Amino acid sequence: MPLGTLDRAPPPFFRQGPSALTKLAVCSALALLLMVADARFKVMQPLRLGLAAVLYPVQWLALRPVLLAQDVTHYFSTMTAAQSAQAQAQIKQTMLSQRANQVEQLDQENARLRKLLGLRERLQAAASAAQVIYDAADPYTRKVVIDKGLAHDVRVGSPVLDEFGVLGQVTRVYPLVSEVTLVTDRDQAIPVLNTRTGARGVAFGDVSAHADALELRFMAANADVIAGDLLTTSGVDGVYPPGLAVARVEKVERRVDDIFARIYCVPLAMVSGASHVIVLEPVSAQIPERPQAPPGPASLRGRAAK
Amino acid sequence: MIMRPGQQLLLPANPLFVWGSLVGALLLNMVQNMGLWGRAAWTPDLLAVALVFWTVHQPLRVSIGVAFVCGLLMDVHHGGLLGQHALAYTVLSFLAVAMHRRLLWFTVPSQAAQVLPLFVAAHAVEVLLQLLVGGNFPGWWMLLAPLLEALLWPLASVVLLLPQRRAPDPDANRPL
Repeated sequence: MPLGTLDRAPPPFFRQGPSALTKLAVCSALALLLMVADARFKVMQPLRLGLAAVLYPVQWLALRPVLLAQDVTHYFSTMTAAQSAQAQAQIKQTMLSQRANQVEQLDQENARLRKLLGLRERLQAAASAAQVIYDAADPYTRKVVIDKGLAHDVRVGSPVLDEFGVLGQVTRVYPLVSEVTLVTDRDQAIPVLNTRTGARGVAFGDVSAHADALELRFMAANADVIAGDLLTTSGVDGVYPPGLAVARVEKVERRVDDIFARIYCVPLAMVSGASHVIVLEPVSAQIPERPQAPPGPASLRGRAAK
Repeated sequence: MIMRPGQQLLLPANPLFVWGSLVGALLLNMVQNMGLWGRAAWTPDLLAVALVFWTVHQPLRVSIGVAFVCGLLMDVHHGGLLGQHALAYTVLSFLAVAMHRRLLWFTVPSQAAQVLPLFVAAHAVEVLLQLLVGGNFPGWWMLLAPLLEALLWPLASVVLLLPQRRAPDPDANRPL
């Protein structure tokens, strides 16, 4: 038997390297440092980009069989399914056509009236289409990954819509893909307007109560909200253009001991299973900067504060 | 070196195969996420199984540092908190190093039972970190993940040792 056939090299006596406990301490400290820097100071994006570049070939490779399987299932999806989908789309289009035809006229009227009153023009956001590639793996958040990134001029904070309503917001951009945090994520908040009453509020993602929903928080216990109300974006945030459908109120709980009503809403966008989406530019780019405060009183006030 | 009774003499491990199997496990993890189960919490983490396996069998090659880097890669793929998997894998790898001399003296099913607490510990680290930073609890289904990982141990100890079980002198009758 030739030498080196067996996996029985004697263990090194002197070059042992640092002990396992030392390595554990160093690596744990490093991991904790990274977590604090990431969660608290948000400075880890360059490292993330670097590691993502390393990871991209593996991700590309892993995506091949997935895309292939999807193509095959698409190919074998039956004629009837395609026909029924087409019929439904046609019905929806017919229903929308009346409104869509009126929009032109209303737009014109609106523009004239606004000019008459000297109001600013409504903001128009540029849109680009994208496709959802997969759900981000983290089970603790609600995110999806879309196939447009820095290379396609996607910016952090851009609103993302699907054909039914607001899906979420771009929260992290990589060179070729970006992460979209869904409206149902726990940390995601979206300013909304109740179309029935005109009352503004903020809807938060709520994954605990029942699967993938929203909660309209901080509405007084006697607020005029009933089940079935449509919530659209209010447009006061400088991110979302006004008037995009977000959610429908599902249930309102009013308790005696609570000053706020508990309002559960169902997102209108397909938060699980969206495939084609639209990425809008954040409106904030078009909003003029805040006027500078006149220097005199401000500096006085600053001195007084000291 | 003390040899276990009935221990098979193995060929030296090919470093390329070791690293390749780690990358392969990462790739399978991604396929599970992208194609099969989305963000389900119960999916077994194959990279963790591969890491524990190689830490036990090749502690001089694959150890805590490698586990840390693999954890970072998983974190970037997950898009969650950076460093969460790194810490979990570091703890996992440390526990594996601590038990690597003892573990191989047992039969494979018994080994699977003994690595189960390791996987439980790694998942517990992740859940604790997430609860600290305010993530939501992903549901009780996640208890299934360490169980599945432990159940994959016998499979791993067959598949990952295959290249080392080949004949030392292959000929025409025994090509592998």
